[in-house]
Amino acid sequence: MKVVLQDLVKQYPSSSSVAVNHVNLTIDNGELAVFLGPSGCGKTTTMRIIAGLETPDSGHVFIGERDVTDLASKDRRVAMVFQNFSMYPSMTVYENIAFPLQVLKLSKDEIDRQVKEAAGLVGVGHLLQRSSRQVSGGEAQRVALARSMVRRPEVFLMDEPLSSLDAKLRIQLRMEIKRLHQETGTTVIFVTHDQEEAMSLGDKIVVMDHGNVQQVGTPQEVFFNPRNVFVANFVGTPTMNMFDGTIKPNGGGLCVDLAGIELKLPDRFPGAGPGMPVTWGVRPESVKIADEGQPGDVPGTIELIEALGSRQQVFVRAGDKLFSAMIDALHPVRVGERVHLRFDHRGTHLFNAQTGLSLAEQH
Amino acid sequence: MTISLRQRLSAYVILGILALLIVIPLIAGALTAFKPQIIWVSSPPIWIFQPTLENFEFVFIQRQNLLHLRNSLIIATGSVTIALILGVPAAYALARFRFRGSKGLLQWLISLRMIPPIVVALPFYVLFQTFDLRGTHFGLILAYLTFLIPLVIWMMRGYFVEIPSAMEESAMVEGYSRLQALRKVVLPVVTPGIIATALLNFIFAWNEYFLALILGGRDTSTLPVAAATYVGRARVEWGNLFAVNLIIMLPVIILTIILRRQLVKGLALGLVE
Repeated sequence: MKVVLQDLVKQYPSSSSVAVNHVNLTIDNGELAVFLGPSGCGKTTTMRIIAGLETPDSGHVFIGERDVTDLASKDRRVAMVFQNFSMYPSMTVYENIAFPLQVLKLSKDEIDRQVKEAAGLVGVGHLLQRSSRQVSGGEAQRVALARSMVRRPEVFLMDEPLSSLDAKLRIQLRMEIKRLHQETGTTVIFVTHDQEEAMSLGDKIVVMDHGNVQQVGTPQEVFFNPRNVFVANFVGTPTMNMFDGTIKPNGGGLCVDLAGIELKLPDRFPGAGPGMPVTWGVRPESVKIADEGQPGDVPGTIELIEALGSRQQVFVRAGDKLFSAMIDALHPVRVGERVHLRFDHRGTHLFNAQTGLSLAEQH
Repeated sequence: MTISLRQRLSAYVILGILALLIVIPLIAGALTAFKPQIIWVSSPPIWIFQPTLENFEFVFIQRQNLLHLRNSLIIATGSVTIALILGVPAAYALARFRFRGSKGLLQWLISLRMIPPIVVALPFYVLFQTFDLRGTHFGLILAYLTFLIPLVIWMMRGYFVEIPSAMEESAMVEGYSRLQALRKVVLPVVTPGIIATALLNFIFAWNEYFLALILGGRDTSTLPVAAATYVGRARVEWGNLFAVNLIIMLPVIILTIILRRQLVKGLALGLVE
């Protein structure tokens, strides 16, 4: 079901800042949308408003064509999976999955059929008689998934369901959530602070900070075309190299002066003009390391190397700036070596230093 | 963690000595309850004798302490029941909701626990006279609630705070109202806590002497008040006193043994999971 948020505002009485600040958002039917942002950015509060666990100060929530803003949680036909809660401790796995069905006054056989079907889908069919103490953290979170599915909700809400699991399990369950989403075709909203999780899961990523939506887009859009400095900084590991500078005229075109380093600007930044203070950025993946210099390269010295399996992250000092470059692990480098940094201009970004907004053409 | 045999032995020895220090007077008292009057007080104490029930017969039949036992039961169970009915929902509300004055309310409640009963005794006495509550079961129950409800709220609030609020929220998203969620998923989890709370409150109400003495009448005296009558100005009727004391101690000991596991779980609730 389609979910529409209309000008949502929420401020907690105990806090001076706004938790959710005029959020407008449309999540299409069948979409898997990820709310991504640092802790305190308002992503969980926004989700809790959709679930009906918080009341917005103003604004509306629509699920499909229904305005659910004033509806109790139980009547919204949504399901929610929580970060710090998975199983009702006083119940077995079976009773947990049956719990949402009991309130519907279904026959015993019908409940039994649905419990077994849902348990099978998430792979806990063999655990049905276990108590909550006899299952692992990953299994308990699968039970929570099964419990959320049995009511056939119109929207799944998942509030960091994987963040208390260990890395391997997290990736495994992430894939299963994606598979379940593809099989059921139900709208899913997934909250996480883990940008890798967001990238791998989302059809659409909603980047949030300080209660504001910073950018809405596909994983590719937020990665390759960050709308502002915050998104550029938050999305992508390792983080983007970013430096402050000023735009200067350079021959027929423009260049950016990063206090000591001058770099020619490609012409895809129509918003840039001479004299403008800017923030220039390049992703470590777009920084090449060359032994022989070419015009336009930046010379520097390797200060630190981090081996990361198939890749290595190389930190190069050029003047007072430290650049990080992500290069192939087989490329021979050593600490102290004099090298030349070459930037793939398709991976460079330019932001207005005052507004933080991207100066690139917006698609 | 492994504990060596020596550490274990020394722990047992120390605990054993402590246990003896506590248990010996209790046993001596319990024995006295079964002694014939002639050897109540003897030096050195007599440990082996032909046990008799004459003390019990005297206190419960002749001196009608059975009636006082009944009063104690009515007042203790009554006040604990009402304290739980009022205190558990209040504790839940104070654990989950922030409202105007909720913090102050909580501090005021704990301050009630710190008031010595003597401070409220006189005002209570005047109030009870005015409203004809003196010498009624209900009056004493009401007086005890002043102390029991804060205790219930403080203990139960601790248990509720330990439970992630996502537990009820999950139930609420799954089609239940908050009250249904409370009943179906939260209360089963805090049951050991409720039992521990009930037991501690019962012990307070059951043992309470001072208010019962001042606010109770002839017909509503509780067992502790009755027991005190055997401590005369001239002499102490040891055998009769200990016969009553034994009956006062028994329910507490039996309840504690029966509910031992729940009690430990309840007292440790939230400490370890």
